[in-house]
Amino acid sequence: MRGDKKTKLLAKQLFKLSLRDGQVSSEQVAGVLSYIEQAAPRHALALLKLYQQAIVTELAKSHARVEHAGPISAATLQLIASAMTKKYARPVTATAQPNPRLLAGLRVRIGSDLYESSVAGQLATLSHAV
Amino acid sequence: MSIVVEQIEQQIAKLSSKAIKKNTGTIRAVADGVAKLDGLSDVMYNEMVQFPGGAIGIALNLEADEVGCVVLGDVSQLKEGDEVQTTGKLLSVPVGRALLGRVVDALGRPVDGKGPIDSKEFYPVEKIAPGIMVRKSVNQPLFTGIMAIDSMIPIGRGQRELIIGDRGTGKTTICIDTIINQGRINKVGLASGDKSFRPVYSIYVAIGQKQSNVVRTIAALEAAGALEYTVIVAATAGDNPANQYLAPFSGASIGEWFMENGMDALIVYDDLSKHAVAYRQISLILKRPSGREAYPGDVFYLHSRLLERAARLDGKGSLTALPVIETQAGDVSAYIPTNVISITDGQIFLETDLFNQGIRPAVSVGLSVSRVGSSAQIKVTKQVGGKLKGELAQFRELAAFAQFGSDLDAKTKAQLERGSRIVELFKQPQLNPLSIELQAAILWALQKTYFDSIEVKNVVSAANSLKDYLTSRKDALLTKIRNEAKLSDEIEAGLKAAADEWKSTFAAQ
Ligand SMILES: Nc1ncnc2c1ncn2[C@@H]1O[C@H](COP(=O)(O)OP(=O)(O)OP(=O)(O)O)[C@@H](O)[C@H]1O
Ligand SMILES: [Mg+2]
Repeated sequence: MRGDKKTKLLAKQLFKLSLRDGQVSSEQVAGVLSYIEQAAPRHALALLKLYQQAIVTELAKSHARVEHAGPISAATLQLIASAMTKKYARPVTATAQPNPRLLAGLRVRIGSDLYESSVAGQLATLSHAV
Repeated sequence: MSIVVEQIEQQIAKLSSKAIKKNTGTIRAVADGVAKLDGLSDVMYNEMVQFPGGAIGIALNLEADEVGCVVLGDVSQLKEGDEVQTTGKLLSVPVGRALLGRVVDALGRPVDGKGPIDSKEFYPVEKIAPGIMVRKSVNQPLFTGIMAIDSMIPIGRGQRELIIGDRGTGKTTICIDTIINQGRINKVGLASGDKSFRPVYSIYVAIGQKQSNVVRTIAALEAAGALEYTVIVAATAGDNPANQYLAPFSGASIGEWFMENGMDALIVYDDLSKHAVAYRQISLILKRPSGREAYPGDVFYLHSRLLERAARLDGKGSLTALPVIETQAGDVSAYIPTNVISITDGQIFLETDLFNQGIRPAVSVGLSVSRVGSSAQIKVTKQVGGKLKGELAQFRELAAFAQFGSDLDAKTKAQLERGSRIVELFKQPQLNPLSIELQAAILWALQKTYFDSIEVKNVVSAANSLKDYLTSRKDALLTKIRNEAKLSDEIEAGLKAAADEWKSTFAAQ
């Protein structure tokens, strides 16, 4: 179980309080955390987990994880970051993550979206199509 | 060979030219054929979702922070944290002539071991039913081959007629006989070379039935030569509830292809009670609110959107639906039976008592109706059987009274005598549909009192002997009845001569 209705609602409200100008702000989060510590609401553990989940999901929307096989230049990363910033109309940062299983090419994850241009991905698509 | 390689290269070129965007999520929990997923922020309602290992899911519950999804196929390979992807496609099944004679599962994949199905077209499983403007009124008959039904509760092409009754009252048998009858009519009609002949293709959807029963059904259809005009969609009791939930919708799509392409089709949903149970199970696991008898609130909508897909389309073909409902102890006022009764154009009610008395098919004439079919009845049947329903109803009433008193007046006695002969005449063994011309000939003989002098216990054998006599010696007369579809003086004279001759040989035995 992921907490009852009240806990869910509270987690949602706390999450909203953690945003400033539509962005997760570390100051606000610190404030929320200290509030939870002081107020010690019921089901604090479940509440914290829900809150964490919401924040992680939100942060993932502003962060492009670039999986790559072979070297990748800082310029490429920068290019991806700026393209995504434009596409999603919000500041997006990009970090690289080597993944040799891709064989060649890139795979970019941002939020729950996935941009596939790796050889491994193409092979998988092809094997489904045949 | 090189063409294949070329095709693959083209596909690679197409793929590598640009990055493909997908929407992904992760499995949060899997239980009882249902997966709860995180992410998938772009998923559509009813969209197909790709699980690792080839399993497919359908997104049914879209909530703020999670997606509830039924899984079709093997769930044992799935685990928490696995990545899933949207496909951007609504679930669809292969359709077309290539499916005739085949047995497929809820996704249209062959399960009869006869190799792959070569179908080029796909139809989405969920389709909006045809609107009011494109529909045409039902006025062409669909012969079941069961005399009690064709003469008193006629079914028209595009109609939805419910078959309802307790367990083991012969519901499936009526449907199978109807499919077999279509096979026979198709054979005769297609062989005659008549351009205006419209064959009826059948789709039999088995939902939650025992595998052994489905095997028996297939064997019966094959033995009767009807399988080649039939598609069987099987989601048996062992299949997971998601497949059972989907099977009738897949069957409807397969049937719609025939309708959309100017052909006539018949679809049997055997049965929708088990379908409702499968849907209830899915809904409870998805934690949807439950209502009466713990069914979810939209179970009515589930069946109405399914049955509304049966229609007769202007300028195209038709799809006739025979949904089956199983009642408990004859209770038609339970939730699912009342729902389906209100959506269909009539019902054929089968009674346990009749069945146990040996009156089979156990059609209860008083409780069965066909709200549109009589406009689809051919003239000859109306001429010879128009009064039967009233006569039988009167007989039942009198028979109930006759139990109490012994001294009855002559008129009542005559009515009782006649009624019990009609009941005998409507008895019909299974897997033995009668052609409409033979039905008409027998009912004509009944009308002209040829059976009145025969003892009640001999009526069945007398009718059989008349059938044999007519089919073996009066083929031309039967063909004439079939083609003209009404009683002319010439046909009546032919019938009279034949019946007289038969009567003398039968009496001599
Ligand atoms: N017209 C008939 N003459 C003789 N036997 C019949 C006739 N119709 C059905 N039966 C027999 O009755 C039994 C039950 O028939 P059937 O399976 O069609 O019933 P059902 O209502 O579909 O049952 P279930 O509820 O199990 O699905 C079968 O064994 C069948 O052979
Ligand atoms: Mg049955």
